[in-house]
Amino acid sequence: MTHPTAHRLLVPVGDSVTIRETVAYVVRRASEALEDGQAVELHFVSISVMGATSEESGEDHERLRELIDAWLTEDFGEEIPADVTVETAIVGQDQYLFSPDDYANVLLEYASNHDLDRVVMDPEYNPEGTIPLLAPIESRLRASDLDVEQASVEREARQPVLARAASLPKYLAIFAVSFGFYLSIGSLVLFDLVTGAITAGVVSIFLTPVAFRRNPSFTRALRQLVRLPLYAFYLLWEIAKANVAMAYVILHPSLPIDPKMVELRAALWGDVPITTLANSITLTPGTLTVTVTQRTFLVHSLTGSSRDDLSAGGLERAVRFVFYGRSGARIPSPRERDDYTDEVTPTDPDAAAEPETEVQAGG
Amino acid sequence: MTPLEWLAVVLAAGGVFFGFVTAVGLVRLPDVYTRSHAASKSDTLGSVLSLAAVAIALQSGIATIKALLLLLFLFLTSPTAAHAVTRSAEDQGIEPWTRDSEGDE
Repeated sequence: MTHPTAHRLLVPVGDSVTIRETVAYVVRRASEALEDGQAVELHFVSISVMGATSEESGEDHERLRELIDAWLTEDFGEEIPADVTVETAIVGQDQYLFSPDDYANVLLEYASNHDLDRVVMDPEYNPEGTIPLLAPIESRLRASDLDVEQASVEREARQPVLARAASLPKYLAIFAVSFGFYLSIGSLVLFDLVTGAITAGVVSIFLTPVAFRRNPSFTRALRQLVRLPLYAFYLLWEIAKANVAMAYVILHPSLPIDPKMVELRAALWGDVPITTLANSITLTPGTLTVTVTQRTFLVHSLTGSSRDDLSAGGLERAVRFVFYGRSGARIPSPRERDDYTDEVTPTDPDAAAEPETEVQAGG
Repeated sequence: MTPLEWLAVVLAAGGVFFGFVTAVGLVRLPDVYTRSHAASKSDTLGSVLSLAAVAIALQSGIATIKALLLLLFLFLTSPTAAHAVTRSAEDQGIEPWTRDSEGDE
């Protein structure tokens, strides 16, 4: 359908601050190609994000597709020229994409299936959201037969996402923590003091750029450190209860379990609070965090009473207390907020395995 | 035996008990999700009690601190491992076992 020497572009797209400029760049490139009298094929491909349900990424994809359509129409002026074919696709849904190579391979596969010859990368493209993958993906793509170019876009000073500007307070905080840890497992003799200082120095040099999002505040850290033991005791008590309940359920002759998947949207923001809550949920009565997307927790629960505890939000309140102070603890429970969903439908019924039936085995 | 030694023995016995519950749970529970429950919870408390017994039995400052640090790391790694296992199970599309599905078979 297209000319053999047509410009066939692959544009990986996703949530990124420069997606709009990238589309504009693609349109400029396409217009140049059109002046040569060549037909142009544009493939906007989004990669299904790991951890998102297929429904979620489908919605995201749909939203993105509409946006891209609107931008293309705008940039081409009135309507997209007849010589331009626009395709949008979503790839990688049924695969567990982990390394940059996995992402690159998915793109390469798509490119070879559609006979594409050029990749335009969004300079802020980052399929995974948190870990910067652009550079490794790009170098993998460059190793193939495809031409790879980065869209030239105007943007504010580019900031590496993982490594952030290091500052003296950050160095000192890392140094203090690692030195303290070294000494706590060693002893207070001169040898340990010296080797500890050297080790902590090396650690702080390497880890400071990645360890903090913002400058550590001594007072904030102190306040959280004071609240943390309170939380630890609360958690220990909950864990003890969890285990007694688990022991009862497991050793009971008729195995009284009623497992269910539930969903919980936590009123927490930031990596550390989310991680704390996810791990605490796993450690307490009959609940187990399966997946976390943004602040939505997919939780597997073993018994009905464990679900009641979860929707009452005691743990969430405790985590909020540690990170946001006493006022943070006074919020409605997830059930009252309507942030709690009982019985989540399975994400992919086709791929579902047969449930095992050896319930009473070994009982 | 001193009261502290008795306490250590009781804690160690508790650790053994919860280790046993973990093993029984792994065998009895029906699917990967429920089994992860047993592995992530009973196992953690079993280790916690055993380590507490160690901390008391050794009765020296530095060893106690080390045992406490081990506890801290267990609290971080054990749920993370359970999370990784169940998450990959979920990614593979393995449906959780329910009371209803038991009736179907």
